[in-house]
Amino acid sequence: MPCSSDVIIRVKGLVYTYDSVRALDGLTFEVNRGEFVGLVGPNGSGKTTLIKCLSKLYTPHEGSIELDGRDLRKLSQLEGAKIYAVVPSEFTMDMNISVADTVLLGRYPYLEGLWWEKERDEEIALDAMGKLNVSHFGNRKLGELSSGEKQRVLIAKAIAQEAKVLLIDEPVAHLDLGYQMEIMEMLRSLARDGVTIIAAMHELNLAVRYCDKLIVLDKGRVVACGKPKDIVTQKLIEDVYGVKSIVHDVPEIGLVIIPLSGSNNGGVFDKKNGKKGAAELSKTQTWRRGVEA
Amino acid sequence: MVKTFSSLFFVGAPNLVRRKIFLLTLFVTVGLAILAILILASLVFGAQEVTLGDVFASLNRLWIFGRPIQNYGVTLPSYIDWSFDIILYHSRIPRTFTAILIGAGLAVSGAIMQALVRNPLVDPYISGVSSGAAFGAVLILLTSIFSGFLETVSLPLAAFLGGLGAFGITFIIYRSAGETPTSFVLGGVIVGIAFSSLTTFFIVTSTREIHGALFWLFGSIAYVTWDVVWILLPVVVVIVLVSLLYAREFNVLLLGDEQAAQLGLRVKWFKRIMLIVAALLASFCVAFTGIIGFVGLVVPHMIRLALGSDHRLLLPLSTIFGANLLLVADIVARVVMRPAELPIGIITSFIGVPFFAYLLIRRGKRYAM
Repeated sequence: MPCSSDVIIRVKGLVYTYDSVRALDGLTFEVNRGEFVGLVGPNGSGKTTLIKCLSKLYTPHEGSIELDGRDLRKLSQLEGAKIYAVVPSEFTMDMNISVADTVLLGRYPYLEGLWWEKERDEEIALDAMGKLNVSHFGNRKLGELSSGEKQRVLIAKAIAQEAKVLLIDEPVAHLDLGYQMEIMEMLRSLARDGVTIIAAMHELNLAVRYCDKLIVLDKGRVVACGKPKDIVTQKLIEDVYGVKSIVHDVPEIGLVIIPLSGSNNGGVFDKKNGKKGAAELSKTQTWRRGVEA
Repeated sequence: MVKTFSSLFFVGAPNLVRRKIFLLTLFVTVGLAILAILILASLVFGAQEVTLGDVFASLNRLWIFGRPIQNYGVTLPSYIDWSFDIILYHSRIPRTFTAILIGAGLAVSGAIMQALVRNPLVDPYISGVSSGAAFGAVLILLTSIFSGFLETVSLPLAAFLGGLGAFGITFIIYRSAGETPTSFVLGGVIVGIAFSSLTTFFIVTSTREIHGALFWLFGSIAYVTWDVVWILLPVVVVIVLVSLLYAREFNVLLLGDEQAAQLGLRVKWFKRIMLIVAALLASFCVAFTGIIGFVGLVVPHMIRLALGSDHRLLLPLSTIFGANLLLVADIVARVVMRPAELPIGIITSFIGVPFFAYLLIRRGKRYAM
């Protein structure tokens, strides 16, 4: 039922605590089928924890998650693997495994028989490789690929999993500008095909531009949720990130966010990058400004 | 060359699976052919020099009578030397079987360990398991708690406990040292040194006569009996079959614990059980023949380099080529200093050490880039 207002994820009152810290503090939101959702918020706001709860790697302490009309707690890991797939943010590979083999591993939840994948599994994997434009290096080893190529392979693996929901932690981290745009465009076209995508992101401008919906998290709570145009304001950026900014609606492009100064740091650095070294920060910042101005 | 060779057969659609089945069949056939030749070589070469014809004649007599008999109830022609029947029956045949079983066991154990910790530099020797197992076996022998057949049976069990203990310590060091690939290797190496030193200490200070430290630290299959073959055979066969059954799960594990869990594998249980299985297999191998290093490192790695990491190829081929490697090493150990014998572990170390160094350098270069 690819109806546009059809809810696929329903999260109610979700709480997750590390020791005594409430990483998720009563989250409630809904996501519709085929939506490309950007999960944004500063470091420590609970993005990654939420992704791990949604993928059943963490068990929430309170609240409920409903996926495709089913209670997540009652799904086995294997059943869950047929509904959602996870693309990790960091991925190292020492073993000599090829791109095609990696994508084929996405078929694991469906495998029958003792050993070999069926022809249909192979077709689905090859199809996924085509979609993500990785077919031409199917024989190369995963360890030899660039971050952008690796990211595409892992997304292709998730697509081969025939997941209805794709959970992606930082899809464009470590990527240069060209790859960032490419991945975001691919994700958007996947969403157009009916895959629901939830991506935890730091790159606000990309999220605003490509996502159908933003869920803004701060200290484990949803502070705003809706279409980027409706919710992103200078006040929101300052409240959440502690950064003064200009939010400008450019015709035909959409919202553009230009950070100005971080009130917490007293400088031009935004709070979300607070943990990085100062030299690295100023570089990022100059680069950002150059791109976004 | 392999790639182009196989693509000759399957032009057009990529046919990933059919290509793998083809490669598996090809390499299994080649591997078994080599194994057959090596088995004959293993029966021919040794302190006493005989021809292939002698071996076949002797095998034929043993086949008919089931064991060596001096005059076979008939008057033998004088040119038949029945003493070779005895050598063949009591030494070369059990020894050949043992080499095959231990080679296969160590290689498969190494392949499993590498998948479990996602580190190609790991094998029973590097992880300290072999040294711990040898220590356990030596303790049983020196304390003389059991004797006779009971001792033969308790030996591998004590080795297993020692091996598991050593692996536990290595794992604790690895965990505490930040779970890097290098910390596992370093942790395993020092645990190995510790257990080898303990083993040597107990052997030197003990009054009971057992095989010397050289036997335990560098391994030898010169003294094995049929008992050893009968104990090893079911263990190696069952564990290898179990590992083959879970080849797909090992593949999933290559993507890391979180991805494997997300794909529906019960990672914690699977890893725990398979670690025990790998340690069990390695310990049984060590219990009767001492520490034979690097087989579990070299064999799976060569196959991974040539054919990739799919465990449906890796595990069966490790079984066959592990057996082949150890047979070669055993033949060399017998032949180079004839009539004296070298410890077989020295031969495998000669192969393994440069190989390990090469792997380290290759990894280092990649990280430096």
